[in-house]
Amino acid sequence: MAEIEVRRLTKTFGRVAAVRDVSFTAPEGKVTGLLGPNGSGKTTTLRVLLGLVQASAGEALIGGVRYDRLARPRQMVGAMLESTGFHPGRRARDHLRVLADADGIAARRVDEVLDRTGLTAAARRPVRQFSLGMRQRLGLAAALLGDPRVLVLDEPANGLDPGGTAWLRATLRDLAREGRTIVVASHVLGEVTLTADHVVIVSAGELRFAGPLSEIGDTHGALESAFLTLTS
Amino acid sequence: MSSVIRSEFRKLTTVRAPWLLLAAGPLLVVAGITGLVSSGGNVHDPATQRAALAHTGLAAVFTLVFGILAVAGEYWHSTITDTYLSAPRRGRVIAAKLAVYALVGGCAGLLSSGAALATTAAWWAERGGQLQLSAAGTWLTLLGGVAANCAFAAIGVGLGALIRNPAAAVAVALAWFAVIEGITGQLLGSALARWLPFYASEALSRSNLQATARLLPQWGGGLMLLGYAAVFATAAVFTTLRRDVT
Repeated sequence: MAEIEVRRLTKTFGRVAAVRDVSFTAPEGKVTGLLGPNGSGKTTTLRVLLGLVQASAGEALIGGVRYDRLARPRQMVGAMLESTGFHPGRRARDHLRVLADADGIAARRVDEVLDRTGLTAAARRPVRQFSLGMRQRLGLAAALLGDPRVLVLDEPANGLDPGGTAWLRATLRDLAREGRTIVVASHVLGEVTLTADHVVIVSAGELRFAGPLSEIGDTHGALESAFLTLTS
Repeated sequence: MSSVIRSEFRKLTTVRAPWLLLAAGPLLVVAGITGLVSSGGNVHDPATQRAALAHTGLAAVFTLVFGILAVAGEYWHSTITDTYLSAPRRGRVIAAKLAVYALVGGCAGLLSSGAALATTAAWWAERGGQLQLSAAGTWLTLLGGVAANCAFAAIGVGLGALIRNPAAAVAVALAWFAVIEGITGQLLGSALARWLPFYASEALSRSNLQATARLLPQWGGGLMLLGYAAVFATAAVFTTLRRDVT
């Protein structure tokens, strides 16, 4: 049981309601695309889900449990957020070892995820030498480190070249097929139609649609027109 | 908890900056003692020997900055997100950082005390003085200096968690060190001033820079610094627990 459940979630920053009464479920074994314009509350929703931001009302659960109650969080949930940073002077492999140590993950896993994300050759270089795409791969490696049941990714295709994007798509499909729950927040609608089974559309902090992609139509054009109508 | 501590150690051992910072401590001590002797310090006076060894405590300015960067540095590089994803119970992160940074700060203080002893011995030999290792003050002065290095690393961890911008936190700490505490001390009068953190640290490390001040006994200064570290740490934990990381 590792589905994601967001229940009547509200988050206000001062007087601004970033998320208002949003509910949706991201089922196991599926890729759920979380869509919305800039400032629509996607990232805030993910941050509440990951225990980084406190909900004002409602809750967000992973397998029925709040993130901060997970005993080994990285072995249940792998996350990559846009704001995730790296120390510029730390080598890529050391970055992953720091994270592995914190969650009691074997060092062997570090080399496995470096291999899976194509970073083995760059593993001993400091992150300051990395391109945006390589940083993105390192973020993904960190998310995969604990072999988690759930993956939460914010704009994972950002900065990837076409080969990287295709690799990411195949990887996400594989991971979903293994029964994992995957949530991907994205702007790139074309990419979502190729990877997602479910979509959740938010706008101005409110839920506009949650359901199977097939209800909208799984072509880029259908998703785009639905997106523009729902978020206008 | 042990995994969070291990992770904190690895964070430190995989970057260079904190070690360069800590290396400045012994260098400051060597330079300070050399300055004391070359500006006419009398090597035959036991008070000069104590003043030389007390430079160990001055190195604590570097362990303070070292501690500040524990949390504030993670906000600066946005690595704090990954840190809290690994350990969502944030109190544990702060506790682990306090333990690791106090220990490493104490070790840096130990190196500084070694540098103080070696530099003093070298100058005393050069100038024909007799180093009084058995004098009551010698070891207590060195020990107090090491303790000050340890305490200021812990105070820095708390301060950096309260003021998460590293430049601002360092500026506040150094302004307090250089100016504000002196003025506050004058306003309060020496009876109250001796309870302030840097007066307490002077008592602990026996480095009477402000000779006019009436200081606490050495053990009292140590307890006061421990108290300050505890206050900052508690404030850090409470403000950190519920704060949104965006």
